[in-house]
Amino acid sequence: MFKRTISHLFTKPYTTKYPFVKPKLPEGYRGKPEYTIKACNMIELCGNKGELCFDVKSLVNTNCTVCCRDCPANAIEIVEVDGKKRPQFDLNKCIFCNQCVDSCPRNAITCTDNYELATTDKASLIKKPQPNAKEGTKQ
Amino acid sequence: MSNNKIDIISVVQSKLKDKVEIQLGQLGTAAINTTNGLHRDVLKAMIDADEKTGLTAITGLDLGANLGILYHIHTSNDFITIRAEVPKNNPKIQTIVDLIAGAAFHELEVSDLFGVIFEGNELKGHLVLSENWPEGIYPLRKDVIANEVKLVPAPEERKPPEMGKLVKIIIGPQHPALLEPEKFVVTVDGETVTKVEPRIGYVHRGIEKASETRTYVQDVYLVERICGICNACHAYGLVAATEKILKTQVPERAKYLRVIDLEFNRLHSHLLTLGHAGLEIGYETLFQYFWRDREPIMDLIELISGNRVYASLMTIGGVRRDLKETDFPKIKTTLEDLRKKIPFYRQVYENEPSIKARMKNVGTLSREDAIKLCVVGPVARGSGYDIDVRKDDPYEAYGEIPFNKIVYTEGDTWARMNVRMDEVEESINIVLYALDHMPSGPFRVDVPRNVLAGEAVSRNEAPRGELFYYVKSNGTAFPERVKVRTPTFANIPSFLKTAIGENIADVPPNFVSLDPCFSCTDR
Amino acid sequence: MIDIWLILRILIFPGFAFILLLTLFCDWVERKFEARIQNRVGPMVAGPAGILQPLADFIKLLTKEDIEPRDSKRIVFKFAPLVAFTIMVFAICFLPIDGASVLSTGGFNGDLIIILAFSTIASFLLFLSGWASCNPYGTISAARVLTQFMGYDIPLFLIALTPAFIVGSLSIFTIASGVTLASGQTIPIILLAPWAFVLFIITMQAELEKDPFDVPDAESELVGGLETEFTGAKLAFLHLTRDVQIVFGSALVVELFLGGPYGPVFFGVPAFWYSLWFVLKLLAVVIITEYITTLFARLRIDQVLSANWRILLPAAILSLMLTVALVTWVYPLV
Repeated sequence: MFKRTISHLFTKPYTTKYPFVKPKLPEGYRGKPEYTIKACNMIELCGNKGELCFDVKSLVNTNCTVCCRDCPANAIEIVEVDGKKRPQFDLNKCIFCNQCVDSCPRNAITCTDNYELATTDKASLIKKPQPNAKEGTKQ
Repeated sequence: MSNNKIDIISVVQSKLKDKVEIQLGQLGTAAINTTNGLHRDVLKAMIDADEKTGLTAITGLDLGANLGILYHIHTSNDFITIRAEVPKNNPKIQTIVDLIAGAAFHELEVSDLFGVIFEGNELKGHLVLSENWPEGIYPLRKDVIANEVKLVPAPEERKPPEMGKLVKIIIGPQHPALLEPEKFVVTVDGETVTKVEPRIGYVHRGIEKASETRTYVQDVYLVERICGICNACHAYGLVAATEKILKTQVPERAKYLRVIDLEFNRLHSHLLTLGHAGLEIGYETLFQYFWRDREPIMDLIELISGNRVYASLMTIGGVRRDLKETDFPKIKTTLEDLRKKIPFYRQVYENEPSIKARMKNVGTLSREDAIKLCVVGPVARGSGYDIDVRKDDPYEAYGEIPFNKIVYTEGDTWARMNVRMDEVEESINIVLYALDHMPSGPFRVDVPRNVLAGEAVSRNEAPRGELFYYVKSNGTAFPERVKVRTPTFANIPSFLKTAIGENIADVPPNFVSLDPCFSCTDR
Repeated sequence: MIDIWLILRILIFPGFAFILLLTLFCDWVERKFEARIQNRVGPMVAGPAGILQPLADFIKLLTKEDIEPRDSKRIVFKFAPLVAFTIMVFAICFLPIDGASVLSTGGFNGDLIIILAFSTIASFLLFLSGWASCNPYGTISAARVLTQFMGYDIPLFLIALTPAFIVGSLSIFTIASGVTLASGQTIPIILLAPWAFVLFIITMQAELEKDPFDVPDAESELVGGLETEFTGAKLAFLHLTRDVQIVFGSALVVELFLGGPYGPVFFGVPAFWYSLWFVLKLLAVVIITEYITTLFARLRIDQVLSANWRILLPAAILSLMLTVALVTWVYPLV
């Protein structure tokens, strides 16, 4: 122990001096989920939530509220924007498990590596899809 | 396979003949349905035949007009469930505390949550519910909706401080020695401990009840958050039990990936405990070194799953994401670097005089006590009781991967810490073997969302011991009952026994050596 | 007649202000050194390289709420830390810091005994402050302070007498000047009695209550030890008392064994060089004691007692006998 402690006096400390130095994140890091308007646009939505018994593979007659139903934290709410139903993400409740990414049959939700989400305004954490948005915009 | 493998089923069949009904292959090796208090006779027959019989868990069930009680018993080679039923209007049943000493806490929990009265069990009071829970309302019964229960004011406990020879020190809910809140009232005579009275239940969040109102997919995440340190094992427990009900065949690649996830969990948990033990005895330098060496493991978990702590890799039917071949070299170099540091730590534990002074002959648990109190995990393996679910009842790919079971015989704190240190090395070997022999193929299969009616159990070796899950389904997407028995719940009674007669200054190292995780205990 | 010079010496240099700043600086040095040994950075943000961190901690504690338990003994609870702090600072004022001590220029014969008595009284006051808080944690910790202090006080005195015996006087100034050899050179006492230096450092660890003798302040068993019921300004002063105790103990080692503030003077005013050598030697001793702290775990109280009575006390007596023998027969030849 004696030698090891003395040798540590001459080695660089192990600490990463965040926030001056940002850590290097691996690919596939689960950060904030991001929703793309394009993919979800293609489906006709019928409107009722319906029963919970269906198979993931069949996309016909799918009530595309799968992300809302599968979210463990109930952080996704379906709201009406531009006459279509879209998901609204509440980042207050989100646990960043990315189950919505896995469940979405149209791959409309992707995960980013944005983790610096702290803010002083709670209302800004509810990510509502913008009205009149073009296809392909990310929220 | 030992030469004298005891066939418990034939022993029970010969002793009790037609009085009980035996269903082979259900809930473990077999399920035995009993009536009218015959559960004690079955248990007595098993204990007489096999000395290593112990209790894993007692599950309560709400069956409508009756309350079901399942006794899950493990023996040297088998896992057997004994079923019993009591009517709701007269829920009395005979206790088994005189046969298996470690059953006291389990029975108290069932009587707390379901209202079953175990005649002969002397423990009173609430185990996991708080003092201001109303009497007569048992939360896990189906007619109780959790949000609508009105709490009553707690009875006042104002007692004057006792003057006299014996001082009661409260290792209270908030304490620097404990990671999570629990209360232990330690009665001290000078500096020697005479009695320890525990009160657990401060972290009870009602997860078993909450899992009944969420779908299976959501439940994997809920159950993962029972404990932050052993989260992959909890997720795996639920997933494995559900897959047994669905009779899915998990692909081979998924099995190996699951093994890697579980072993990473074990690595980071053991390094955490080894450091925490250093902190308890005042050795901060050792604590900082262990946690510095734990950081690369957290980075690896982030690499394979996207998050440092909650890996969320398991899902029903396989794993959620694949591990790329390009990541293998990084994992191998990090693990080899960690392996080079282990001899230094072993040498510190062998030679450092202050560690030996604080940890040797502290909190000794003999092998007979370990078997009687049904302890699990490194606590059992440090006392010479060699149980390890990965070897006794292999699951996933553990049957194909060679590794050693680590057993020490001294039974004190020092032995338990050494068990964990050696298990770190074994885990590194397991992961490297799994990476070298990874089969190719799919990593996930699709499963239906509605799970057909049935019930299953799953056991796996969490870092702290054997983790047990029982899942009952009823044909919808919501489970009917999820029962979790965590390893620390089984190990706490051993602490109540080993602390007596020791110095008060020995209580923290003794306690940390059983690696308590109270979030797991209380669920 | 009011002596302005004396008042300035008491209040600013090398008196009160200097001692306070030195205490905060030594605290910073300890924390940075411990951090580097543990392969991490220490305080980093408050001031350049974190040097204002101890001051920031002190000010933060002064702004917190001050709670007194109903059952505590009021007067003792309020004033024991303050009186202990005062006594410690007063004891440091007797030591020569820049060639002359704060209060006088030459000291007097016997001030070694007065200083050791002050340190005993200050330890006793710390015990009283724990006892007065009427809390089971404080009570057990206070009992441990007393048990430990009974054990090490005797070896401390015995070993502190070794330099006095070599030099032949009980005055700190004379001991600090070292021994004058026949060739005219003065050497510090450590070269003549190195075994006493090692034993004194170990006994000083026990007095300063650092690892491995950290028993009264055991964080994992007794939540705060003595400090459990102290909050706000009282806690700030209790922490300051502990830090001043470390400075005092190290200063005593410097004076007794390392030759005090005396060292080579290169140019200019000797007082400046003397204070510089004093501070450097003090930092060296602080680093040595901190290194021993990081190297060991905490012992139990019964192990501390057996270490004290079975090892330290016989070693102290042996060291004194050895010194007497050497002084009588060997050193006159040198």
